[in-house]
Amino acid sequence: MWTSRPPDDSLSSSVADPALLDRRLLIVTGKGGVGKSTVSAALALVAARRGKRVLVAEVNAQERVAPLLGAPQAGPAVRQAIPGVSTVNVDPRHALEEYGLMVLRYRALYHAVFENRVVKFFLRMIPSLPETLMLGKILHEARAENAGHPRWDLVVVDAPSTGHAVQLLRVPSALLDTVPGGPMRRDAEWMQRLLTDPARTALSIVAIPEEMPVSETIDLNAQVRDVLRIPRGPLFLNAMPDARFSPEEVRRLEGLREAPPPLGPASRAALLQAERAEQAGRHAARLAEAVDLPAVTLPLLAVDRWGREAVEGIAGALEARV
Amino acid sequence: MGALLDAFAGKRIAVVVGSGGVGKTTVAAAIALSRALAGGRALVCTIDPARRLASALGLASLGNVESRVPTQEFDRASLLARGELWAMMLDVKRTWDDLIARHAPSEAQRDRILQSRIYQQVSGALAGSQEYMAMEKLYELATERDYDLVVLDTPPTAHALDFLEAPDRILDFLGNDTARMLLAPAVGAGKLGLKLFQLSGSYVAKTLSRFTGSDVLRDVADFMDNFQGMYEGFKSRAAAVRGLLGQPEVGFVLVSSASPLSIDEALFFHGHLRAGAMPVAGVVANRVTPDLWTGDAPLPSASSLAASLGGGGEADAALAARLARTLAEHQVFARSDGRELKRLWRGTSGAQVAIPRLRSDVHDLGGLAALASWL
Repeated sequence: MWTSRPPDDSLSSSVADPALLDRRLLIVTGKGGVGKSTVSAALALVAARRGKRVLVAEVNAQERVAPLLGAPQAGPAVRQAIPGVSTVNVDPRHALEEYGLMVLRYRALYHAVFENRVVKFFLRMIPSLPETLMLGKILHEARAENAGHPRWDLVVVDAPSTGHAVQLLRVPSALLDTVPGGPMRRDAEWMQRLLTDPARTALSIVAIPEEMPVSETIDLNAQVRDVLRIPRGPLFLNAMPDARFSPEEVRRLEGLREAPPPLGPASRAALLQAERAEQAGRHAARLAEAVDLPAVTLPLLAVDRWGREAVEGIAGALEARV
Repeated sequence: MGALLDAFAGKRIAVVVGSGGVGKTTVAAAIALSRALAGGRALVCTIDPARRLASALGLASLGNVESRVPTQEFDRASLLARGELWAMMLDVKRTWDDLIARHAPSEAQRDRILQSRIYQQVSGALAGSQEYMAMEKLYELATERDYDLVVLDTPPTAHALDFLEAPDRILDFLGNDTARMLLAPAVGAGKLGLKLFQLSGSYVAKTLSRFTGSDVLRDVADFMDNFQGMYEGFKSRAAAVRGLLGQPEVGFVLVSSASPLSIDEALFFHGHLRAGAMPVAGVVANRVTPDLWTGDAPLPSASSLAASLGGGGEADAALAARLARTLAEHQVFARSDGRELKRLWRGTSGAQVAIPRLRSDVHDLGGLAALASWL
């Protein structure tokens, strides 16, 4: 269903653009609860296996990526989770401190200015300052170089869910619209250049085949394309159940619903699975119809606890597709 | 009537909370529908309903306006509406604007605030703004209307606790000591001035403007100047809202999925409600995978299922193998859900309701009534 679509000229990635994991910045977003962190962790794992040095940045979140990789949480300082993959949880306070120190150069001076009660109060009122600082910190990691080499081959941003992600990513263009000059404008300029450069950046949406997530994905895709204008990578359709029972089998199993164990319970489980797969198929079809993106479908995994093993499962499904 | 609905007998306000994507909106609408079916006049105030549910509730385009769900919708679902079901969609920006208009001493001052760039930030982007306005709207609906039951579906915050803390946080922000200090009349000046302007020559202000540009600081000063005199009104109203939430006529409903993260969130929130002496009416675990293979017997093998299917053919063997795999996978979800639910029940009070993963999305009154039958 995804492959039957003709090539679409409106798609912002083209043959000339690098493959998804060969870019410098990969932003992953989607509705809450669709598996953004798992997909981000799995993408990082795949990239690391290709020899890349990867940073996964979470944005002011209940940190999940490092634990998914079997490592302790990193907090606001970059920390290696597994060989090849480091993580960080960016929060406004630490991003401000880092930025302030970069500009002011002296910690004592920073404390004198930014720990001032009046200043702290004003900082909270300045439009979009937390977003600017957090996005600035992440994008700075994506473009930073050490001795002529990029600090990271790939920065994966496990971005906030839909509405908050748009708010975060809109910051540079909003600043360019409203701030006539000064340091914030200069920062906004390079941030916007990086965000909209298809050679360096892509944004991928994660969705699951359910009603609300599909509706939100359709809206978000339009916003990314028309408002944010960030180059788009493939859509990740996560937790997709496979249609494993034919209609004839479903009819037969209906008659066995009340049979004694083991057949009755097995039939009920099968009917629930078939129904879920059928519904998922309809939601996926609506998504394919409304979204002008190639999709990578990831299976619904039967896992008891989400951890390294589950991420490996998703990475395995991703490997050949990105 | 089920345990949760029983808990709402004699209550006038239901506040439905939980982490994002757990089905808060449908649970909220189902609670309101039950009251309407029982003969009451019930309103559900929702934030961002799924489109088909919104249209079933008659919420196609109306922002911040209460509208009655047409009786044809009840007929279509073969339901008898003995009472009235009303619905509205919260418009955060409009609620803020109304609140400013309510407290502004003059139209000119109101307009200056509404046009301020800083106000756009405070009303639109400041964390907790949505939650604060949901509370504000709830208070208005509870005190100025005569519904038998008002059900509030709270915003899809990452952290449910934001909902409770938002008003305090925003008021603290708008009215803290720093602001008072800044707003204190400048000594010796004939009119109100701001210490900010005295500050503007200082090193701190100069450094700050290196980050933001001086326009932004001027905007903040103007906003604070305009907001002066309105703070007390905001504060007393928020205190009234907070007071309302502690009344016995209010019941909080915690909604969770069976996922560990969602249950952590529900337990955390429950603790805070109890600590704040706020009444918990009940807990709903939504979309739970039913346990189809209870007991300690090992899961059936493909061959035993093939034998039960009766045939010995290749088709039966293949089907049996898929059945065995499907039941085993199902039970992975069911056992994980069961384990998490135990944790939820152990840690919470009030009515406890588990709703199985329903056979289809809820998008009409019939679906809501089916959901309500579990409550």
